[in-house]
Amino acid sequence: MTESEQGPPILRMEGVSKRYGGVRALENANLAVSAGRIHAILGENGAGKSTLIKILAGVVAPDEGRIALDDREVAFGAPADASRAGIVCIFQELSLVPDLSVADNIAIVNPPTRFGMIDRRAQRRVAEAALARAGAEDVHPMALVKDLPLSRRQMVEIAKALARAPRILILDEATSALTAADVAKVFVVLKRLRDEGLALLYISHRMHEIAELADECTVFRNGSNVATYPAGTKSDAEVVELMIGRELSAVFPPKPRQRTASATPLLDVRRLSWTNRLRDVSFHVETGEVVGLGGLDGQGQRELLLALFGVLRGVTGEVRVAGRAVAPASPHAAKSTAIGMALIPEDRKTEGLMLPMSVGANLSFAALDRVSRAGVLDRDREGKLVRQMMDLLAIRAGSIDIPVGALSGGNQQKVVIAKWLMAEPRIILLNDPTRGIDVATKQEIYQLLRKLADAGAAILFYTTDYSELIGCCDRALVIYDGAIRRVLVGEEITERALVASALNIDSDTGVVAGGAS
Amino acid sequence: MTTQARSRRGGALSSRLDRPVVVAFACIVALLLLGSLYSRSFLSPDYLLQQLKVASFLGVIATGALIVILLGQIDLSVPWLVAVGGMMATAATAWGPIGAWLAIPFGVACGVALGLVNGFGVAYLRIPSMIVTLAVNAVAQGLMVVHTGGFSPQDSSSPAMRALATGSLAFGLPNAVIVWIGIGACAVFVLNRTTFGRSVYGIGNRERAAYLSGVDTQRIVLLAFALAGGLSAFGGVLLAGYASKAAQGMGDAYLLPAIASVVLGGASIMGGRGSYLGTVAGVVLITLLQSILSVVQMPDAGRQVIYGAVIIGMLLLYGREGAAR
Repeated sequence: MTESEQGPPILRMEGVSKRYGGVRALENANLAVSAGRIHAILGENGAGKSTLIKILAGVVAPDEGRIALDDREVAFGAPADASRAGIVCIFQELSLVPDLSVADNIAIVNPPTRFGMIDRRAQRRVAEAALARAGAEDVHPMALVKDLPLSRRQMVEIAKALARAPRILILDEATSALTAADVAKVFVVLKRLRDEGLALLYISHRMHEIAELADECTVFRNGSNVATYPAGTKSDAEVVELMIGRELSAVFPPKPRQRTASATPLLDVRRLSWTNRLRDVSFHVETGEVVGLGGLDGQGQRELLLALFGVLRGVTGEVRVAGRAVAPASPHAAKSTAIGMALIPEDRKTEGLMLPMSVGANLSFAALDRVSRAGVLDRDREGKLVRQMMDLLAIRAGSIDIPVGALSGGNQQKVVIAKWLMAEPRIILLNDPTRGIDVATKQEIYQLLRKLADAGAAILFYTTDYSELIGCCDRALVIYDGAIRRVLVGEEITERALVASALNIDSDTGVVAGGAS
Repeated sequence: MTTQARSRRGGALSSRLDRPVVVAFACIVALLLLGSLYSRSFLSPDYLLQQLKVASFLGVIATGALIVILLGQIDLSVPWLVAVGGMMATAATAWGPIGAWLAIPFGVACGVALGLVNGFGVAYLRIPSMIVTLAVNAVAQGLMVVHTGGFSPQDSSSPAMRALATGSLAFGLPNAVIVWIGIGACAVFVLNRTTFGRSVYGIGNRERAAYLSGVDTQRIVLLAFALAGGLSAFGGVLLAGYASKAAQGMGDAYLLPAIASVVLGGASIMGGRGSYLGTVAGVVLITLLQSILSVVQMPDAGRQVIYGAVIIGMLLLYGREGAAR
């Protein structure tokens, strides 16, 4: 660990580890942050960035390791403890209450009071001072947050953080909602805060922002810090080199040889757009093909799957299934035999399953049409198909009558997949289906995906795990900021290419592509 | 640990007889024993059959309440949908012989129509059910006041209505009880053996998951409210038959008992969990409680207090159990 030349660090993390079930999110991580510096954190999906921030913000407690503030060991039981110690976070998702005024929002944690009542005049002064410090004097403190454009709200968010008088300010993708002009303004503010002596932790996937802003950079990989260096001393290509190197822990089934493109692909998407989250996305998936969606988390991959499945309103563009234009208005329509689509959702507990209901009822829930006649359930047929699915996916459950919530996470995930296979879809969309499940189950799912593709399904597979893109997919579409940044085919799908295109860097030349959006 | 072992041994049995249902039936027995200490006649067949008959009106109405509560919604339009059922059926009777034939279906159809309004508001306009059904209740009240001029309607119920509500078949089994058994059997079938019933449970458990599973959740919600409206109105038809005529506010005494019997029968007010058998137990329990409180000549105010307290007490019992699981 390099000691900063700016005197002793005010915040020091040593040997911090955190596990979620069997997954290690942080492993012996070290970090030192000095006052008057902007410290950037880099790393690909799952490198441990979010866990690091959550630990610092007091949202989760580390399993081991120590955190020292001014050389005094601290332990945060709740976010309020961290806030009291002077650590304040600005998250990507806005935390403002839309129906309250800007001043109310800024002073929401600790409003100034007089005789036990909120002192509105003092609150307004506090808000004005905070807004001025955040460089957002143009925002009126009495305006309602819901009336402000997104970029102004983000400025209010920063002002709200500053009103809590932080010593360490953590910004997690805080500029992703801002326009280029606003980003420039925020940078001026951040640099001024640094000069005032604050320590800033800056997490961003925008390499050019880091290059412009940071004094120091720390790269995380597989839950550990792998390098800390003064900003500007490494080329983009070198940074990518540091970020890759995740061990391939799983064994993948062999991929078929290159196929010849057919005239009418099973799924053909043209210029799909939705608000500012999806921009002119065009691609196709052939019968028997597994196409991966890659890129950093939150670049529009989920929205793309939801748009295809008919969940989102106001989607423009064209979707063709086997050559016929379709526009499903709901999952009910997307499931119909004319389209034959299935979406294995991201969160099995809230989107995939009804936890208190039985394994059997969950398995047949997406295929009730298949196990009923004129709306009346055929119990024998239901039982038979349920057992078939349990055999096919090797779901381990004591009985089909026990609640699905009593199964292990891996088995629950298999139920989510099986319930959709029971509906016999021909286009299968998967939203990060292997997150948080054990390696053995993951491998069974990889085998199954390949088997389904060989049986004639078209599979579109979003995953945050690059090794799955490399091991499972015939092609990988890397999404950046709502658009397809790069399409990698076959042997081209390497970790280096994936990381470079996910960061919107041209991997061959190391030149930043695109610029500020 | 133990619950898992138990459910593994006899999954079907334990799921059908879960704890709240057993508790509710145990309370029924306890109430009867308590009542028999006061008067022997509490255990006589006459008294029990009379109670079942009174219970069957509530039972029909509570059936609709159960379906809506299983969805995770609530129907507060029960009072005036009951009145609409009774008043429209008696009004039809006054049209002449054809009207007398049409009385029952007409009364129920009016309830279904208002139930559809409830369902449309909840499913398509996305208004919280508490608000829509309360508004529809007010609208129904207004319509009935216009219809009757604010007085008790003078039309009397049709012979068929009277026969259903007051007559009895062989062995002295009241027709009303038979009607309730028939509706109950249909409800059990619909809830357990149809895609509609399965979807109702699914939506109540996790609407988002049900929607993403490709279930047409809006249609199911619409249908459920229409069914509940029809059943409330049918309850009103039976009540009008029992009293020979409809009356203003005839449904006022049925909103809380209907919801209470569903919840006392172990259904979760949040939706997704509950059985018809439990509702049957809840209906009988509430009816007995009301009867005993009136037999011991408790003044009305005290009756209301005890009645509410018992419901809160039983909910606490269930709530504790849920937290322990």
